[in-house]
Amino acid sequence: MGKVIVITSGKGGVGKTTSTANLGTALALIGKTVVIVDADVGLRNLDVVMGLESRVVFTSMDVIEKRCELSKALVKDRRVEDLVLLAASQRNRKDDIRQEQMQDICEKLKDEYDFVLIDSPAGIEQGFHNAAAGADEAIIVTTPDLSAIRDADRIIGLLQNQGIDPINLVLNRLSPALVRKGNMISKNDVLDILNIDLLGVIPEDTGVIASTNRGIPLVHNDKSPGAEAYMRIARRMIGQRIPIPEMREDNFLAQIMNWFSRNK
Amino acid sequence: MENSIVKLRGYKDGLHLIINPKVSLNEVETAIHELLREMNQSLSGTSIQIDMMTSPLTPEDLKELETHLTKSYDLVVSGVNVFDEKDESPILAAPTTHSISQELSIDTLMHIENAQIVRQTIRSGQTTSCLVGSVILYGDVNPGGEVVASGDIVVLGTLRGSAHAGVNGRLSSVIIAMELVPLQLQIGTYVNRPLLGQKPRGYPEIARVGAEDTIIVEEFIKF
Repeated sequence: MGKVIVITSGKGGVGKTTSTANLGTALALIGKTVVIVDADVGLRNLDVVMGLESRVVFTSMDVIEKRCELSKALVKDRRVEDLVLLAASQRNRKDDIRQEQMQDICEKLKDEYDFVLIDSPAGIEQGFHNAAAGADEAIIVTTPDLSAIRDADRIIGLLQNQGIDPINLVLNRLSPALVRKGNMISKNDVLDILNIDLLGVIPEDTGVIASTNRGIPLVHNDKSPGAEAYMRIARRMIGQRIPIPEMREDNFLAQIMNWFSRNK
Repeated sequence: MENSIVKLRGYKDGLHLIINPKVSLNEVETAIHELLREMNQSLSGTSIQIDMMTSPLTPEDLKELETHLTKSYDLVVSGVNVFDEKDESPILAAPTTHSISQELSIDTLMHIENAQIVRQTIRSGQTTSCLVGSVILYGDVNPGGEVVASGDIVVLGTLRGSAHAGVNGRLSSVIIAMELVPLQLQIGTYVNRPLLGQKPRGYPEIARVGAEDTIIVEEFIKF
């Protein structure tokens, strides 16, 4: 019996889809069976970020309306074993699906897979409730901006009311240099407000843009800092105890200066 | 809700019960009963003032009316204003000033002694309220979250959101927080919007209505 984890944020554009794609791939790379589910009906993106767009034939809507079997709607990712995608319908709207129907799909999927990752749409309306309906756990993605944190806080309240536990945090796009200059909210300040456990920190990584555009999740290129961070999070998700590295809040030049001043 | 014997009006300094001069105590009490029955909201714990043109009631009647209002409706009579015939009708002339001394010592009243204990972080979009007493919160109030109480608000954490104490007009209510960096504070009808971007000061603070009719915030040392 696997786990259903909803990946959500409240605010749009903070990296829910990117995180779902990368964590799904990372979990599959370390040997877990994974299905990633796009719950963003009408504005689907997960297939694009995964590079599987052209291979989507059936969607969750086809499953719900019994036009095809659930197993037939799952698109296999050929780059890694045991990773499949359930795409969202692009022709429908979020309120065309009911919470029980999503719950039903989640129940069936978690019988067969270790991890069911649900990519939630932005917002707190029907689409969000559908995405969270079948979830056992939640991962909140936020960036260190006041508006993203405010929305994350709102979402955490809603998920707690629904009884989802644990709710963990992924802090995305943190730029240590900006924090050091006082121009970005620090990790500790974010944790202070949201008051939930931190699953990991993804540094600002321009490689993400290229990876999204190419349809190849970052974790396939294991050298980038973002990929390393996602791999660490995946390992924490399977219960390994991997410390969250303190990011150096100094830039390269400052490190050299420090080295000189220490060696005087 | 129009009623020729008594009228209820909200002014800047709270609710006023306006009484027609040419009636007896019995008629007034019946009219009040009718008026409050028609309201879909309980006024329990609300502070009101009584306005009258040249009192038709004897001081004893007035005393009895006050007791009646307190006992039957849990209203707090914070003042009685008797206007001369020469003055404008109280209905037209809304009082604009308010002195703190007008407040009775209502701290002893039962409803203020109630406290609701909340053990949770009040997150954006969430509200916790106690309309019959104070709120003691074991947790934070995050931006977008709100705590409302007819009595005091005590936050044993960081208050980053909004707090409204004395929501029924009890101006002696206070707001205390271990760290006070709110978006907005309200006590009774007074609003205080602190400067944005404040840093926590690292000590508990108390907000209360000061002598200048503004909400003042200072370090909380003791009562």
